[in-house]
Amino acid sequence: MLLPQLIVNGIIAGAIYALVAASFSLIFNILKFMDLSPGALFVIGAFATYAFNILFGMNFFISLLLGLIVVAICGVLINLIVYTPLRKRKADNFSLLLASFGVFLFLTGMILLIFGAEVKSFGFPIEKGYEILGIVITKLQIILIIVSLILFVALQLFMTKTKIGKALRAISDNPRIASTLGINTEKFTNITFIISSLLAGIAGILISLEQNLDHAMGFSVILKGITASVVGGIGSVPAALIGGFLIGIVENIGIWFLPSGFKDAIAFVILIIFLLIRPKGLFGVKTREEVSG
Amino acid sequence: MTILQTKNLEASYGKLKVLNGIDIEVFQGDLIAIIGPNGSGKSTTLKTILGLLKSENGEIIFEEKKINKKNPYEIVKLGISYVPQGRMVFQNMTVEENLEIGGFILNDKKLLEERMKEIYSLFPTLHDKKYQKASFLSGGQQQMLSIARALILKPKILLLDEPSLGLAPNMMNEIFKIIKEINENGTTIILVEQNAQMALEIANKVCVLQAGKIVFKDIKEKINLEKLKKIYFE
Repeated sequence: MLLPQLIVNGIIAGAIYALVAASFSLIFNILKFMDLSPGALFVIGAFATYAFNILFGMNFFISLLLGLIVVAICGVLINLIVYTPLRKRKADNFSLLLASFGVFLFLTGMILLIFGAEVKSFGFPIEKGYEILGIVITKLQIILIIVSLILFVALQLFMTKTKIGKALRAISDNPRIASTLGINTEKFTNITFIISSLLAGIAGILISLEQNLDHAMGFSVILKGITASVVGGIGSVPAALIGGFLIGIVENIGIWFLPSGFKDAIAFVILIIFLLIRPKGLFGVKTREEVSG
Repeated sequence: MTILQTKNLEASYGKLKVLNGIDIEVFQGDLIAIIGPNGSGKSTTLKTILGLLKSENGEIIFEEKKINKKNPYEIVKLGISYVPQGRMVFQNMTVEENLEIGGFILNDKKLLEERMKEIYSLFPTLHDKKYQKASFLSGGQQQMLSIARALILKPKILLLDEPSLGLAPNMMNEIFKIIKEINENGTTIILVEQNAQMALEIANKVCVLQAGKIVFKDIKEKINLEKLKKIYFE
C-alpha cells in the first residue's frame, strides 16, 4: 500500500499548496504580477494565532479569528503602503515583484525579531492516525483536506455567483473597462488582498497545527505555491487546486525514490518543465492586454 | 437644452499633446458624429470626457456641473456610458455576466432583471447566446454585447468609439441601425467614427477633428458636403 499512502500524503501537502496557489493567483489576476507577500502572510497567520492562543492564553477559535483579522489587515496595508504608490508611479511588474520580495523579507524578519528563531508548536498531543484500507491518516490531516476543499468550493462559488466575485473577474479581464462600468477598481483590489491574505493565512495556520511554526516556513511555500499556480494555470481557482494536489503528490512520490533533500528540487524541476513546455499551465485562461490607444 | 459641454479641452499622453482645445456642445437628443483622420484625437476626446484620461486644461461640464476631476467609475454613475473601441467585452465571462457587470451600479436586483429583459428584446441574438462565453461570439455580436452592456444603465449620454471597426459591411449596417434606434428612443449619443459616410447618414451634427482641434462643425442640414470633403481629405 505504498503508492496510495504516498498519494494521500501528497494530497495533504497539496491541500496547503493549493490554498497558497489560489492566494497567488487571485492577486496575479487583478494586478498581473507575482506577489510574494502571501509567503509572509502564511507565516504571520500561523504566528499571530500562536501568539493569541499560547502567549496570551486565549481560546483557540478566538485566536484563530484574531489571527485571520491580523492577516487581512496586513494584506491590505501591504497593498496600500507598497503596491498602490508603486503602481501610481507606473512601476513595471518586475519592480513590483522585487518590492514584494522586500515585503516578504521584511515581514518574516519582523517575525524573527519578535518571536525568535526557536521552532514553536501549538503543543497538540501527537495523535495516532486512523488506518483506512492500509492508509494511515490523522484526524488533523483529514480536517486539513476538508477545510481546504470547502474553501475552494466557497471561493469558486464566490467568484462565479456573487456580484463582488463577478466584478473581480471583470477587473481581471480589463480593469479600465471595468472602471467605465462603475467599478471602483482600487476598492476591489483591496478586497482581493483581503481574500488572498486570508487564504495564505489559513494555509499557514493549518500547517502549523500539523507541523511546527518556524519564521522561515514561508520560503518553501512561495516556491510550491507559485509552482502549483503555474502548473494549474494562473488565473483560475480550480486550476490552483489541481496544481496544488499535483505538486504535493509528485513531490511525495519523488522523495520516496530520492533523498529527501531533493524535495524542493522536484517542485523546481516541475516549474521549469511547465515554463518551457506549457507556460499557461494545464487549464490556463486567456488574458488580454489593456485597452489600447 | 445643453447636456454636455467641453470648453477648450486639452489632454496629453505623456509629452505628446493630443487634444489642443476642443469645444463641443451637446444638446439633449443629439447624435453627434466626430470624424477625422487617424490620430486626430477622436477617441481621446471620448476618453477624456469619461475620465479615463485626465484633462490638462479646459472644462467638461455635464448637466451644469464640472466633471474634469472625477474618475470613470464616478462619471458613469452620473449617466455617461461608454462603448470602447475594439469592443472589449469580458472574454472569459458569459454574455449574461457581461450584462450583469454592465448593470453593476444598479443596486436593485429586480431593476437589473427588468433591464436585462429590455436589452434582450432589443438584441434577441444576445438572448439566444446568454450562457455562452463572450469570446465565442462573432465580432458583430461582441459589438452588440458591448453596446448592450453600456445601455443597461439607460445612460443620458452614450459615448461610442468606432463601433464599425473590423465589422463586415452587413453587420456594420445592422449596428448603425441599432445606434439610430437607440438615439430615436431618446438617448443622446456621441459617435466617434472612421467611416465618415455612415456616421453622416445617422448623425444630426458633425464635428471634424484634425490634430486635436475641431476644424469644422455644423448641423447636418447645413453641411456642404464638398466643403467637408475638402477639409476631411486635404
